[in-house]
Amino acid sequence: MERRDFLKATVLTGATSALSGCEKPAQKLVRFIPEEDLVPGVATWKPSVCTLCSAGCGLMVRILPGEAEVVRGGKLGTIQMGLAKKLEGNPNHPVNRGRLCARGQAGLQITYHPDRVNGPLRRSGPRGSGNFLATTWEEALSEVVSKLGEIRSKNRPRSLRVLSGRLRGQHGELVRKFLKAFGAPPAMVFDPLDEPVLRQANLLSFGQASIPSFDLARTNYLICFGADFLGTWNSPVAQSAGYGEMRQGRPGSRGGFVQVEQRMSQTGGNADEWIAARPGTEGVLALGMAHVMLKEQLRPHVQDNATRLIAGWSEGLPDYAPSPVEEKTGIPGKRIERLAREITAHVPAVAMIGGLPLAHTNGLFSALAVNALNTLLGSVGTPGGMFFAPRPPMQEAEDLTEDGNFVRDLLGAKLDGTDVLLLHNSNPVFATPAAWKVRNSLAQIPFIVSFGSFVDETSELADLILPDHSPLESWLDDVPESGTNRAVVSLAPPAMQPLHNTLAMPDALLTIAHQLGGDLGKALPWESFQDMLQDSMAPLRTAGGMHPPPSPEAFWTQVQEQGGWWGDEPKQSGRLASPHGRAAVKFTEPQFDGEESSFPLHFQPYVSQAFLDGSLAHLPWMQELPDSLSTIMWGTGVEINPKTAQRLGIEQDDLVEVRSQHGRLMAPALLSPGIAFDVVAMAMGQGHDNFSRYASGRGANPVTILAPVQVAETGSLAWAATRVRVSKVGKARLALFSGGLFERPFELQSR
Amino acid sequence: MRSIITDLSLVVMASVAVSSFFLNRASLAGSFRKRIAGTPQVFTPAHPTVLDSAREFLGWRDNAVQPLAFTHKRHVENQITCTACHEGVQQSAIAGIPNIKVCMRCHALFAKDRPEIKKLTAIFNSGLDLPWQRVYGFSPSAHVKFNHAPHIHAGVDCSTCHGDVSVMTVAVRAVNLNMGFCLRCHRAKQVSTDCITCHF
Amino acid sequence: MSHRWGMVVDLDRCTGCEACVVACHAENNIPTVGEEQALKGRAIHWIRVERYYEGEFPEVRVKFQPVLCQQCDNAPCEPVCPTYASYHTEEGLNGQVYNRCLGTRYCANACPYTVRFFNFFNPAWDKPLHLQLNPEVSVRQVGIMEKCTFCVQRIKSAEVHAKMEKRDLREGEPTPACVQSCPPKALVFGDLNDPESEVSRMTRSRRGAKLLGELGTQPKVTYLQREDWNAKNI
Repeated sequence: MERRDFLKATVLTGATSALSGCEKPAQKLVRFIPEEDLVPGVATWKPSVCTLCSAGCGLMVRILPGEAEVVRGGKLGTIQMGLAKKLEGNPNHPVNRGRLCARGQAGLQITYHPDRVNGPLRRSGPRGSGNFLATTWEEALSEVVSKLGEIRSKNRPRSLRVLSGRLRGQHGELVRKFLKAFGAPPAMVFDPLDEPVLRQANLLSFGQASIPSFDLARTNYLICFGADFLGTWNSPVAQSAGYGEMRQGRPGSRGGFVQVEQRMSQTGGNADEWIAARPGTEGVLALGMAHVMLKEQLRPHVQDNATRLIAGWSEGLPDYAPSPVEEKTGIPGKRIERLAREITAHVPAVAMIGGLPLAHTNGLFSALAVNALNTLLGSVGTPGGMFFAPRPPMQEAEDLTEDGNFVRDLLGAKLDGTDVLLLHNSNPVFATPAAWKVRNSLAQIPFIVSFGSFVDETSELADLILPDHSPLESWLDDVPESGTNRAVVSLAPPAMQPLHNTLAMPDALLTIAHQLGGDLGKALPWESFQDMLQDSMAPLRTAGGMHPPPSPEAFWTQVQEQGGWWGDEPKQSGRLASPHGRAAVKFTEPQFDGEESSFPLHFQPYVSQAFLDGSLAHLPWMQELPDSLSTIMWGTGVEINPKTAQRLGIEQDDLVEVRSQHGRLMAPALLSPGIAFDVVAMAMGQGHDNFSRYASGRGANPVTILAPVQVAETGSLAWAATRVRVSKVGKARLALFSGGLFERPFELQSR
Repeated sequence: MRSIITDLSLVVMASVAVSSFFLNRASLAGSFRKRIAGTPQVFTPAHPTVLDSAREFLGWRDNAVQPLAFTHKRHVENQITCTACHEGVQQSAIAGIPNIKVCMRCHALFAKDRPEIKKLTAIFNSGLDLPWQRVYGFSPSAHVKFNHAPHIHAGVDCSTCHGDVSVMTVAVRAVNLNMGFCLRCHRAKQVSTDCITCHF
Repeated sequence: MSHRWGMVVDLDRCTGCEACVVACHAENNIPTVGEEQALKGRAIHWIRVERYYEGEFPEVRVKFQPVLCQQCDNAPCEPVCPTYASYHTEEGLNGQVYNRCLGTRYCANACPYTVRFFNFFNPAWDKPLHLQLNPEVSVRQVGIMEKCTFCVQRIKSAEVHAKMEKRDLREGEPTPACVQSCPPKALVFGDLNDPESEVSRMTRSRRGAKLLGELGTQPKVTYLQREDWNAKNI
């Protein structure tokens, strides 16, 4: 190709924009009249809510006027509009107090993503072929209305199902009200980041099926079993802020931190002491410490619900003496004794558990054990300990157990008889083991509607896509469950006008409800989601937080300006309710799928720093973010200990096959010293087949090869319970940011 | 003579060898044509054509062609101040070209019968804004971040840099805004001439 | 009194979460180079989190260390630039003047911290991702070196506003993007010419050390060493 031709050929075809601010003569596109009153160059800050994980941090969005391509009246043109340019934490928000994590910063890319669905689509080829044609909102919504009307008239309202990510705030209330008024079963929630085992344990121990919060700023000693609390777990920004204060916020006093896990996580890298107990024995270790504390009378003896659930507690936990604990965990008895003495010498102290330990078949036991340990430490509801965030006194009490559970319904064949499925914020085809055959089950459903902004492995099965606004373009509300010691309801108007021909999902539901009429119309009388939000906030005006209570109009204005409502700091944490009794638990060996002789290694997928459960893999900033421990970009590695690798004849950058009884995957090997000899680990989030140009066909998805084993008594997937074997199959390359072009991450000390 | 030919041929052979080395490397040719699925397109030239890059380097710019025959002269005669339309200038870096709503503030009422105003109203009624072309502005490769607001606050008159607009119909670049122009004033007023003040 | 900007990185607070890395990308229009170029070592991260492993399993430890341009008072990158694109500003920053830069890359060669990055290609964004670009920061073309500027656009903006409002800069003003985002508050930024500023006080900490200080670069970033908890030595 001639150079000049080449240069002309790469002239902007409209698909890319090399430099902003290029002085080009008038474009062929028309310019529309701006719909907002903006002063050029002047930035405004608007509150918003981060929706990328369950923490629910508050945002401040920097808006600057700029020129964007939009469609108005069917014509493509440009318009001057307020554009979000930077996300920061909201300094007044009680959860994150002005700080924001890596993923929250990248949320900006969702709004401007090139692969966003920019208008309603109807399937035009076979299901799952990815062929969609544009349609209009009138046609799309009326089709949904007619389908729902059909099943209602056939008296089959229970054949409508909703499959959704986590449902909180009025978003959740709207869905619940819709389904209830329609006569449909509760929404099936599928949120891989949730901790159902922990909820169940907390319900048993403390009477509250909630995720806990931690007063780390005032703790002197933290022992954490497996939770990546400084990275991805629970409320990472709030926890990191507390951690910073724990370390250096109190002159002369520095809290200590012990992490228990088999693979060094980003969180674990910060520990003063790192303990690699055997997989599935974390609860035993916790009770081993409790045994010493009881025996040596290091703590006042306590007996309540949490401890009654542990068999042998009142006898001083005879099964958890240092010697048997050493046998099970692999941790020397002397070390356990030292830990027990140390932690009690440094109260207030607190224990935390989450992530992999709760993904073993005995996860519930481990969670109950840590709850008992916390009880013994006196850290439940006390300064420097754990507590449950107060709930806001809203009229509709949010009972999270009311929602259905997708996994339970899937495995219980409850999806049979579904005629219409509404999808929202959830990608179970990607984030479940292949053994569960989620795709097959969903593909049977006659009519599927997705409200997502992107085509992904699940929404590609849809017959209709009714794209939601991006979060920055939406009315948002949230009720964070943890990370705060005061009740919080986050709320924010849209920070910017919609870029594309999208419709807010709550408004779509309201439109559908009104068109269907009847009970549905009565249950949801609001014209718009904004009205529903305003009504829902009204009782909070006199519930504290603003003194004296402002007038209703002033209240609504203030709430929108500050990004929500938050109550006063509680004067004291109340005693937690006592639940009904149940049988005490004792340690059971974790079960693993796969015979050790054929599948010698434990497989530990983990929630990744960049992509979480994979829902952020489409963001280029996240793909190029070097992982904190491996510095991998644009890929995934199979993390394996160098000695194990040597034994298996695997070198850095070899392509390896990881095979379980239920599948196999291939990915490059990453030799890492921070992992046990009999464990291999892999970050979740890559391995998408179809999720935007940046994530599709990249890397491998560890969740697919997991065994369909459940955590006993909970019905949750035991995603740490799969054994695998690893073998070299070829060569690969990992893009690492560390060092120069040819450096390896580290050198093995001894060969 | 012979030595020159030898030298020249050596140079030619060397450059052929070097360029074929590079052309043979799949990556260079590959990145021209093939785009790795999923990663952003990395290679685009800084300018679409060589002529464009020459024009930018030499500072050649076509005169702006405006959609309407807007005349500053008439507006200045009617006592309209610069900031009435160029609103951003006291608060931000950008003075801005006003959108059509600003024009219609007055022209919904005044001078409605003039032919250009009729055109203006027609465009406004069809929901469109005017595609003005920028007259002033630095080329991207100058990497200049000019900030209007401190200059206005320092009492610099608009005409200092933009010329006497009251005698202009169509705005033209009356003043040659090269770096020497800026430095002269900065030195005279003893304001910072540190590179990073403007180039960042 | 003129300012002298400096930073403190408290390694005891830093968790290695990389919020700073993404905040910097968002604020400074840093290009995303893609996998192919990343494989060639051409990814650009003005601030990065380095991690150092010590020991072998199970006695393994990790140390995180955020590294960014140290804005050295005796910067090795300054004398080697043939066009004076890398130079020392009046406020002590190592300024990178993009329009002077020819792309000889001697500055990156000289920098011992590997914090200077070269634009091998003209950055491109798949539309409409270009709308995320910050208009207050230059977009660097092919052939230009770039590095952390301590968010000089924020510094300039704060100074201009303070001057217009006829007041001094307040504590916490300006704040670079990384410092603003950091959840455990490990990063502190401010005026080293003000002995009472938080950054000055923390620079005097007994835990303070300079990265590769023995090279004589006189970096303006002070690292506060991670403390060892008494009984926690492995």
